[in-house]
Amino acid sequence: MMLALLLVAAQVGAPAPALIQDPRLDRLDPDTRVQVSTVLDSARRVGLPTEPLIQRALEGATKAAPGSRIVAAVRRLSADLRVARIALGGEASAPELEAGVAALRAGARPQVLANLRSARRGLLTVALSVLADLVASGVPADSAAVAVLALAPQARDADLVEFRRAVERDIALGAPPGAATSVRVNAGANVQSAGSNPGAQPRPRRP
Amino acid sequence: MGIERVESSDAELVRRIRTGDIGAYGALVSRYRDRLGRYALHMLGDREDAEEALQDSFVRAYRSLARCDDPARFGAWLYGILVNRCRTSGARAARRRRMFVRDADALHGAAHADQSDRLEWTDAVDRALARLAPESREAFLLKHVEDLEYEEIAELTGAGVSALKMRVKRAREQLQRYLREAEHV
Amino acid sequence: MFEHEDDVVQRVIEQLRRPVAIDPALDARVMEVIAAPRPPTRAIWPWLAAAAVLVSLIMWRPWSRSFRVEAAAFQFVLVAPHANSVSLVGDFNDWDPKRSPMRTANGIWATVVQLAPGRYRYAFLVNGVEWRADPGAPAVPDDEFGTPSSVVTVGGRGS
Repeated sequence: MMLALLLVAAQVGAPAPALIQDPRLDRLDPDTRVQVSTVLDSARRVGLPTEPLIQRALEGATKAAPGSRIVAAVRRLSADLRVARIALGGEASAPELEAGVAALRAGARPQVLANLRSARRGLLTVALSVLADLVASGVPADSAAVAVLALAPQARDADLVEFRRAVERDIALGAPPGAATSVRVNAGANVQSAGSNPGAQPRPRRP
Repeated sequence: MGIERVESSDAELVRRIRTGDIGAYGALVSRYRDRLGRYALHMLGDREDAEEALQDSFVRAYRSLARCDDPARFGAWLYGILVNRCRTSGARAARRRRMFVRDADALHGAAHADQSDRLEWTDAVDRALARLAPESREAFLLKHVEDLEYEEIAELTGAGVSALKMRVKRAREQLQRYLREAEHV
Repeated sequence: MFEHEDDVVQRVIEQLRRPVAIDPALDARVMEVIAAPRPPTRAIWPWLAAAAVLVSLIMWRPWSRSFRVEAAAFQFVLVAPHANSVSLVGDFNDWDPKRSPMRTANGIWATVVQLAPGRYRYAFLVNGVEWRADPGAPAVPDDEFGTPSSVVTVGGRGS
């Protein structure tokens, strides 16, 4: 009987603690902790992942940033996660949302994220990251978006990472960033992924 | 005036966890922590053992979440993991039981009335509970403290209903005897 | 149902039903365990240009068709010949300098970390005071705390 009640209570929702009490947040001063917990609470209520927010707060704590800056960063990330979820859809995973935020902050328009969702099967974490990282290397956001969307339907995640590395090498060697991507995309129908040596021990990867 | 807080059901949280939101598991942990912790504490008789068993059970439940066939019954499924985990948490609990038995024997030998007067009720209950055989204690706690039906206990423990009823009956008789002993010393 | 109402047992039941306070830090311990990458079973080797580095790729057991997580070994390297200590800190270890100290050989600092799929910001903390990004990795342009950071993205299914 009690088990049935337990299940019924779980269905309608048992009361949760007032604010999220994650002991990792003890690294923050009490005032900051309360403000951050409030943001976490709101995020959780609308179904956004809280772990990225916690990590952002911990980053600020380790870097001895002022509490107001930490709170601002967490709030901004929470808002950006919400935008990313609108663009990527409610089923997006936490890593996809984080990568989506990175892409948006790099200058990709929300429509690009939505197009990527349509163009590519599976998780978009790597594709979105590559998009963001290309822009960080100096590639204009529109060029980066065109490049990633062109590769999205066929390329595997490892291919996209290799593409990004190749573009970065070209830029380092002096190619203009916009040109570097288009040359790569046009030549890159058969982008080979690294490490396709079947018998070898898998080596640890590099960022 | 106030904004209604709509909490997610277990099934909803499980769904979110399965799409990558590890943080949603935290909500399930805090939802079940105290209820399951009570069982673990009374079953094992030691707070550290209980919290360790509880923590292990939560971790195990997360790692085998795909095996939870019906996310709406997450609570019951988690219960089963905890009950099994408590069964294997033998060592320290067994030592403490033996210590309690020795204490009870010592108490029989002591003839001082004020000693029995000072005996806390809660301690007496803990000691009496600790003296029960594990399967009797388990059945008693699940039936009378956690309020499960015999069919549900059977499902969790793998024992038959009539065997469970016998264990509960034995537990009740023994508890009564141990506690009357404690009062009369 | 029992024929005789047993007062002693009833009092026991009431006593045992009272709420029990469990250490609230247990929640965080659980979350920490499930979120942390599982520790590598091999020793950590420093990276040298000529040497091949061997670390096993640890695949978590598939629990079902729909819920499979891969954790991959990632190596982080920083050249810092004059440093006394270097720590790797990032989204994968709560930005805690104590969690991933790096080992050095000939001024090259390295460590290997198991990462589940996701996108992680990180940086190196040199001598406990100096923040350095990873020269070999994409930078994080939107650094909000005034120090440089880098990004590592791990592909793969689930998390």
